Amino acid sequence: MILRGILLLWIAAGIILAFTWAPLVPVLQETTRVLYFHIPSAWVTVLALGWSMVASVLYLYRRRLEYDDHAGTAAELGLLFCIGATVSGSLWAKAMWGSYWNWDPRETSIFFLLLVYVAYLALRGAIDEPRRRARLAAIYSVAAFVAVPFLMFVVPRLYDTLHPDPIINPRGKVDMDNRIRMVFTGMLLGFTGLFYWMLNLRVRVLRIERRREDQGRPMEVAGA
Amino acid sequence: MTGNNVVLAVALLVWGLLFYYLLRLEGRIRKLEK
Repeated sequence: MILRGILLLWIAAGIILAFTWAPLVPVLQETTRVLYFHIPSAWVTVLALGWSMVASVLYLYRRRLEYDDHAGTAAELGLLFCIGATVSGSLWAKAMWGSYWNWDPRETSIFFLLLVYVAYLALRGAIDEPRRRARLAAIYSVAAFVAVPFLMFVVPRLYDTLHPDPIINPRGKVDMDNRIRMVFTGMLLGFTGLFYWMLNLRVRVLRIERRREDQGRPMEVAGA
Repeated sequence: MTGNNVVLAVALLVWGLLFYYLLRLEGRIRKLEK
C-alpha cells in the first residue's frame, strides 16, 4: 500500500512539475509538455514488448503457463502504451505540423508496430486450447520482437523525418535542461512503476481465472 | 483560469481516476485470492 501511495504522489508531482516548474524548449513552446507523457509511453512500450518476448522464451523453455500469462499481458499493455504514445504524438503533430497524421517515417513505423501486435493478440484470441495458444503465441512474440528495435529505432533514422531529434542524439549525449531532465526521468520511473503494477494485477486475475476453471467455477472480474 | 491550468487539472483528474480504478481492482483481486 505504501508503494501505491508513493506511485500516486510521484506521478501527480511529475504532472504538476511538468506544467509549473520545468521550462519550455524554445522551439517546442507549450508543446514541450507532451514530452513528459509521450516518451515515457514509448519507453514502456519497448519495455513491455521486450518483457513479452523474454516471457515467451521462458515459456518455450519451461512450458509453464504463468510465463504465457506474462507474455500476453505485457503485449496487451505494450499495445496500450503504444496507443498512448501515438495519440500524444498525434496531438503534438497537430500543434506543430498542422495535421494529426502525416505518414512521417516515425508515424508509419509506429503504425506497423501496432499492426504487428494487434495480429499477436488476434492470434491469441483465435486459439482456445491454452497450451497450443501459448506455444504459437510465444513463437510469434519472439519473431515479432525482432521488428521492435527495427521499427522504433532504425527506420526513423534511415529516412528524413520532421520528428525532433531523439533524446540521446547521434553524438551519444543528452542535451536537456536540468529541470526538464529531472521531471522527464521522474516520469519515466513513474510510468515504469505503473506498468509493473498493471502487469501484476492482470497476471493475478489470469491466475485466479485458471484456478477457478480448474475447479469448474469460471469467474469474471469486471474490467480486468 | 488559463488553458495551461485546465490541461494540468484534466491530467491530474485522469491520473487520479486511473489510480482509483486500479486500487479498487486490486481490492477485488485480493478478495478473490483468499
